[in-house]
Order: sequence, then structure tokens, then C-alpha cells
Amino acid sequence: MRGVIWYIERDFLRWVRGRVAVFSALVMPAAWLIFVGLALPIRFTDNYLDFITPGILVMTMLSAGLSGGTLLMFDKILGFLNKFLALPAPREDILFGKILFVSLRGLIQATIILVIAVLIGASVYSPLQYGLTYLILFLFGVLLSAFATTLALYLEDHDSFAAVNTMISMPLFFTSSALMPYNVMPEWLRTLASLNPLSYAIDAIRAVDAGALPLVQIVSLAILGIVVTAISVQVFRRVTV
Amino acid sequence: MNAIETRDLTRYYGVLCAVNHLTLSVDREVFALLGPNGSGKTTTVLMLTTMLHPTEGTATVCGHDVLREGEEVRRSLSYVPQDMAVDIKLTGRENALLFARLYGVTAPKDRVDELLAVMKLIDRADDLVKTYSGGMRRRLELVQALVHKPEVLFLDEPTLGLDVSARATIWEHITALKKDGMTIFVTTHYMDEADRFCDRVGIISNGSLLALDAPSSLKARLSNDVITAHIDGTFRDPGVDGITLFSFANNEASFLAENGREALPLLADAFTRAGVRVRSLALREPTLDDVFLHTVGKPEEPAGFDQTKFRTMLRRRK
Repeated sequence: MRGVIWYIERDFLRWVRGRVAVFSALVMPAAWLIFVGLALPIRFTDNYLDFITPGILVMTMLSAGLSGGTLLMFDKILGFLNKFLALPAPREDILFGKILFVSLRGLIQATIILVIAVLIGASVYSPLQYGLTYLILFLFGVLLSAFATTLALYLEDHDSFAAVNTMISMPLFFTSSALMPYNVMPEWLRTLASLNPLSYAIDAIRAVDAGALPLVQIVSLAILGIVVTAISVQVFRRVTV
Repeated sequence: MNAIETRDLTRYYGVLCAVNHLTLSVDREVFALLGPNGSGKTTTVLMLTTMLHPTEGTATVCGHDVLREGEEVRRSLSYVPQDMAVDIKLTGRENALLFARLYGVTAPKDRVDELLAVMKLIDRADDLVKTYSGGMRRRLELVQALVHKPEVLFLDEPTLGLDVSARATIWEHITALKKDGMTIFVTTHYMDEADRFCDRVGIISNGSLLALDAPSSLKARLSNDVITAHIDGTFRDPGVDGITLFSFANNEASFLAENGREALPLLADAFTRAGVRVRSLALREPTLDDVFLHTVGKPEEPAGFDQTKFRTMLRRRK
């Protein structure tokens, strides 16, 4: 498993040296936080920023995870994957390295969003609560990056992946519990939102913020993550030999 | 035990046979697989490097079976694909260090420094690869490939797209590696390079091995002289007994004749009679190019462009 570390280090160096991409990924969630979180006249709560922050954190992980799917695809198109596959190190290290890197990169971006949220007036929680928040975000990140990587391997070309990516990211966000609580949703949206995996993560973070331990959501996210990763390993093996 | 041993190695893509019962042994030499595009060169290399399962037949690298002992096979070889895949956002040293670590080399930093010095990249080791020339990138790929001291080195089109001096440098390094006892398996389009630097060449077409020998023996086997004629306007084979046309491309017709000196005037007369305008006639010894064209057939096959076949090949070569 030591190969995973070196693959992550490589992707990290490439990411940091991309400079523009490091910041551009933060613009969208930061804009939501400031322009929606601070400005929307909401009646169901007196601190909408606290309500929307978990949603924006999960949104940050969502876009980080989905866009991370392209990494393995480009390694494949540019010939890097073939070189890595010819190494004696276990081939799955390549895949696990990607999933972990994309999840960790998402956590770094989420941290910056969290800092911005606190700076503009969100409540500060205990270290234990932040620890659990990070665990939930990480599990969600693994789920999303494994899904996106599998999709990218399956679709084989960048344009169709980008199209699917745009097609699913916004609907996923709007049909989750990110923007409003279940009791103010219309009936049809409530059903959709309770099935949406984004809601599992968002509801779990809100429960942590309220002082509860959302075991059901954490376990469901972990199981989903393991299942999708297992599928990803299968697709990866099929594509590479 | 030979470094590379294949027996009836075969690969189908659907109904298309990319490699057809290839039997070959290569050991401690520079071996070149020559063939037109889509002839099965890359497919062969992919099977030998365990990236693709053979449909039939067996192959071993350093005594390890490519199908059952993939990890041991990959430990004893290095593979440099033709894409020039080096990270342009990393420095030369970082690129090389990544591979040294992935191979689990002991003291990776020292090994990388040593190889960067051999490949004359040490002065630029900490510059981003973005600023490297094509030849430097290729040498950096050799550094990556050599970090774990492989016994067998696979190079897919190692000099593709490089200028003349960069090509010469790459071949110098390949020759030096062979002297150290390494087995080097290359695929190439450049006949002159195969002729000068390779101990043996195999000519492959439509997946079948058509010729296999040292370049000099292959040329000797084509014991005839080669006559090339530069033609103006339309061309017709004048059809002289004992003078056979074996290729025609870009207004240049090539003929084989047992005795070139005697064949020259006969051919000139025949052209005049056939009303073909000849700009020049030349007589020369056969080159590996001639061997290749003679073995593989005319460069432009009359068969139409098969879209589905082309797509299958493309998809597999990614």
C-alpha cells in the first residue's frame, strides 16, 4: 500500500502547481455562502448561515469529487496509466491513490470554506464536533470520488464525462436538504431529498452541530462508499487488462 | 533461459487477429520489431509487459509467465510507451524519484542522481519538465525506466519525433545498456536505425512474423540489386523478364534484378517502348527498407479503409 502515498504526492504536487485551479474551485461555494447564506430573507431560522454551512461544505466535496474523476481519465489518455500499470506495485494502488487524493483535496477546500463561514459569522463548535464533521465529509468524499472515477473510466472520453458531470451536480444539490429543512419543503421534494445521499451527509453534519451522534447516516455513508469503491475496483480491473 | 520467450502468442480483438501465433526468443541483444501501422507491434509489447492478456499461446520474461506471474514479470522489466508521458508540472528529479519509490528502490535519491548524471540531465534536474526538449524528456523516461536495474527494457518507438542528434544520443544509451547485459526490445518505423543499431530484427505484418534475422543477413538474402526509377507522369510496369517491380510510391519505382548492371539498359529500353518518361535510374545495394517493402508488400494496400477495424485498434492502443 506504500505506492498509494507516492501516487497521492504526485497528484498533490501537480494540483498545487496548477495555481489557478486551487482557487477557482473555491469561488462557487464561497459565493453561495456569502450571497445566499448572508442575503436570503429566511423565516424558519434566525441564523441561516449556520443552517446552510453544512450544505455548502457538502457541495464543496461534491464538486471536488466529481471533478476529480477526470484525473484518472487524463492519466489514461496521456499514457501515464500504461506506465504505472507496468510497475510491480499492486495496480489497485493507482485507483486508491486517486480516490484518497480527491477526497483529501476536497477536505482542504472544505476547510477554507469553513474558515470563511466562521469569519462571516457562523457559530464555532467543539473540536469533537469538527472531528465528526470531517469524518462525515471524508466518507462522502470517498463515495463521490469513487463514483466519479468509475464513471470516467467507463465513459472513456472527457466531453461526455463533463456533460454528465454538469447534468447531475446541480440537480443533486437542489434536491438535497442543503437549502431548506424537510418541514418547509413541498411534498414531492421531501421524498426526493430524503433519498439523496447528499442529504445523508448534510443531515449528519447538522445533527453533529446540534450535539447528536448520527450513527445511521455515518454507517450508511460508509457502506455506500465501500460498495461504490468495490464496483470501481471491478471496472478498473476490467479496463486495465 | 532466454530473457524473452514466446510460443504461438496470439491476440484477437473480436474477430480481428492482431497477433498471430508469434514464436520468438530474444536474449541479451537489441531486438527490433518492425512493421507497418496496425501490424501488431504494440499489441505484442503490451502482452509481454502483462498489460494485455494473450488469447492463445504463452510468453515468459526472465523465466516468468506473463499470465500467471505478472508481478515478477513487471519487476524484471521496464516499459517506455511511445506517448512521452512525463509530468510537465514536476521537475525531472521529482519525475524520476516517483518511479524509484514506486519500484521500492533502496536509497532512491542516490540512484536517481546517479542516473540523471548518466543521462546528462543532472544540471537541469530541478527545472520543471515543461522546459525540457523532446530529447531530454525521452532521456528522463529512460531514467525512470532504469531506476530498478531491469533485465529487459521495452521501448515503443523510442526516437519518434526527435531530431537527428537526439536520436543518436538515445541509441548511444541503448547500445551502452546492451553492453551491460540488458535485453532491449524496441519497436520502430526507422529502418536505418534498426539497420545500424539492432542485432536482430523481426518484420511483422497483419500480426504474423514474416522475417527474423540480423539486418545484414536479411539484406544478403535479398541477393539481388535494387534499381530505382524516377518517373514523370503516368507509370506502367514495363514487364521485363527477370526484373521484378516490388514497390511504387511518390513517382519512384523500385525493381529487383539479379544483375543490376545488365538490367539497367534493358529497363531503360523497355520504358521507352512503353512510353514512360524516366527522369533518372539508379542502381544500389539493397537496404533494410527494401527488405521491409519486399516482405510486407506494397506500402499502400489497395484494401479500403475499414472504419470498425480502425476504431477497435485505436481503442485498444489508448
